[in-house]
Amino acid sequence: MDLLTTLVSALLVAGLYATMSYGLALIYGVLKIINLANAGLLMLGAYVTWWLWSAWHLDPLLAPLIVVPLFFAFGVVLEITLVRRVIDREPIVSLLLLFGLWLILQNVSYLIWTGDTRSIDTKFVDATLDIGGMRLAWPRVYVFGAGALTLWALTAFLSKTHAGRAIRAVAQDRDAAKLVGIDVGRVNAMAFGLGVALTGFGGSLLSLLFSFNPDFGRALSLKSFCIVVLGGLDSFAGVAFGALALALAEGFGLRYMPAALQNLISFVVLVVVLIVFPKGIAGLIRSIRRA
Amino acid sequence: MRRRRLWSLLALAVALALPLLAPHAEYLLDVAFLVLLYGAMATGWNVLGGFAGQVSFGHAAFLGIGAYTAAILVAQGWPIWATALPAGALAALYSLIIGWPTFRLRGPYFSIATIGIGEATRLVALNWTSLTGGASGLTLSAAPSPATQYYAALALCCGAVGAAAWIQSSRFGYALAAIRSDTDAAETLGVDTTLAKTQALAISAFILGVAGCVYAMHYLFISPDSVFGFSTSIALVVMPIVGGLGTVLGPLLGAAVFTVLREQLEANFQNLDLLVFGVLLCAIVLFEPAGLLGIFNGLRQRWRKHS
Amino acid sequence: MAQTLLSARGLSRRFGGLIAVRDVDLDVREGEILGLIGPNGAGKSTLFKLIAGILRPSAGSVTFAGRSIAGGRTSAICRAGIASTHQIVRPFRNLSVLDNVLIGAFFGRRPRPPHEAARRFALETLERCGLLERADSPSRTLTLAGLKRLEIARALATEPKLLLLDEVLAGLNPTETDATLELVRGINAGGTTIVMVEHNLRAVRGLCSRLVVLVEGRLLLEGSPDAVLADPRVVEAYLGAAHA
Repeated sequence: MDLLTTLVSALLVAGLYATMSYGLALIYGVLKIINLANAGLLMLGAYVTWWLWSAWHLDPLLAPLIVVPLFFAFGVVLEITLVRRVIDREPIVSLLLLFGLWLILQNVSYLIWTGDTRSIDTKFVDATLDIGGMRLAWPRVYVFGAGALTLWALTAFLSKTHAGRAIRAVAQDRDAAKLVGIDVGRVNAMAFGLGVALTGFGGSLLSLLFSFNPDFGRALSLKSFCIVVLGGLDSFAGVAFGALALALAEGFGLRYMPAALQNLISFVVLVVVLIVFPKGIAGLIRSIRRA
Repeated sequence: MRRRRLWSLLALAVALALPLLAPHAEYLLDVAFLVLLYGAMATGWNVLGGFAGQVSFGHAAFLGIGAYTAAILVAQGWPIWATALPAGALAALYSLIIGWPTFRLRGPYFSIATIGIGEATRLVALNWTSLTGGASGLTLSAAPSPATQYYAALALCCGAVGAAAWIQSSRFGYALAAIRSDTDAAETLGVDTTLAKTQALAISAFILGVAGCVYAMHYLFISPDSVFGFSTSIALVVMPIVGGLGTVLGPLLGAAVFTVLREQLEANFQNLDLLVFGVLLCAIVLFEPAGLLGIFNGLRQRWRKHS
Repeated sequence: MAQTLLSARGLSRRFGGLIAVRDVDLDVREGEILGLIGPNGAGKSTLFKLIAGILRPSAGSVTFAGRSIAGGRTSAICRAGIASTHQIVRPFRNLSVLDNVLIGAFFGRRPRPPHEAARRFALETLERCGLLERADSPSRTLTLAGLKRLEIARALATEPKLLLLDEVLAGLNPTETDATLELVRGINAGGTTIVMVEHNLRAVRGLCSRLVVLVEGRLLLEGSPDAVLADPRVVEAYLGAAHA
């Protein structure tokens, strides 16, 4: 594969990785907990999309119209009934709770849909785009576009709407936000719901690209953790940057190592980054700028 | 104190005599074996996760290293019982290697990194075909009798539980408890926290490594997905937490519940056992952090008050 | 003239763009009770953390009992003889009062005492700090005053040559304040050098032989409590220019 194709391919993959990770970043930024159920939610987003397509013949491109509000509601319910109770305890408690949730999601899916691998097969999924001598899979381009649109919509929401600014306030300083009259409980529920919706949306997009079973999402979620840490746990631009960095690392790694070891790259990067840059590269850049 | 020692001796006597008391109840022996093996594994995990408070989601890595060490040595002609020590030692050595970078991380970040470590180890095992046989796994030619396997598991479990009990009342156990509560504060009081965590990890890994040998002895076939798999790591987290984190008997209780549930449910619905455990985990975390052992102790206290 | 126990030269610490401690030279004399005062945000806690080894200095050196300790491992510095309490109490909540102190007794002393000796020493320390009756209670059942005394007891159990007390009087009522002052005096009488960060200026005046003033990370002046507290620069730092 020539250099240009590697770069473009990495760019498209970065768009996918970023979209998968926004939900994680939002939840961490506002509630300060790591959503270990991220993998399960990605998987569920893919399954719901698939089910809507296979049982109800709904075009998977339209599935987000149902997935996003559904997952938002699900996220809000989760926050109010479960997450809220553990948010003030040590971080490991929420980690374990969400891990348990992941187990539940994964195994309920096994029960409902069995462990058989599923995939979506439409004309769009197989279509390719020939441009500049490269042949790109249409779904990848679409996912990249959807991711870019999501980033723009998220940034606009957070900076221009009242609710968005409330979310940013709580993310910056929960107690100060309370002092100015912001209902932190409502913001938490909204943020968690939004985070779950974003992840579900990501899963829906993923169903266009990959086949999946209930175990799906684990390797991808690890990459999300890697990205969110790389980009700094509190900025969306950082997530986009982290996604790009990881996708490039993997893309170039693919030229020199067998595909099976590709996932190793993200693990190694994850551990190295966590150790050398505890605040992520965005934090590093911020501290250099200040000095 | 005396009464507890009496109960322990009685339990040990029954356990030792089990194969003789029920010579034809092979199923019972099998279940007992699994409870002892998983109990030992859960106890090993608990040394790091419960005593020291460092939750690892990748502990299957050590089980796998132990199992593969045993299998490879047996293929070289070693008798199976002699592979126990190398299995544990290699697992402990591996833990030192990965402990050095990961212990620089705190709390949830450490836990996430362990997911990565577990997965990475599995991938390496899957792809290092010349050493591990890749996806097709390794088969063991040794075939110890069910009674031998049972006694091996019993020895392992007694060793693990003994080690846990010793740690809990020792100075080292105090250090771990302090680290679990507040690592930085412990450091200001003179506890070398990195050293203590590393020691806890090494002990934990050793126990799991030897358990890998016993595992290999029983199943006679190991593959990256069976021993290094994430579902194994999940079980190692869930058993001690459900049973009673940070206690000596909690992991055993959790292992017993896990084994029984799995035997009962797997027959009918696969994955229902993990589902139940997911629910149990959430319930324990939300309502009774001391686990089933905590519930049991609470009931016992209430019963004592009434009688 | 008393020996210098601890000597800091050019000590600095920055967090990103913020310089919390700026080029501080400090000498602590053996046997004294030194008060470290200054308005909020002056960098007093940061200075403590630099000395105790909880934070690494960005620049400068710290010499303790003849050895350089800057940048050393926190636990090693504790074993060398410096103990500190935290401004916001950090007890081991899952342990009893006695076990909290045992941690200090087990690990902070050099050479390592045997189990029984450490236990006895921990109980004696609890008695000195007035916590003996609560020895077996879980530490989270203590009141704030009790928790503050536990902080001190824990640090004391490491047999420090130098004890750093970070606002031990904050949040205490007058009776508790007096009791704590008595305790501190007793600890010092037993041979431990003490440096204390305090906002309670009346207490500091009565207790400390020498005061050092930190303003915006810099050492402003040092001297006897009467001289320092009357100095217009110090009044200005606390209350603003209009009052000087």
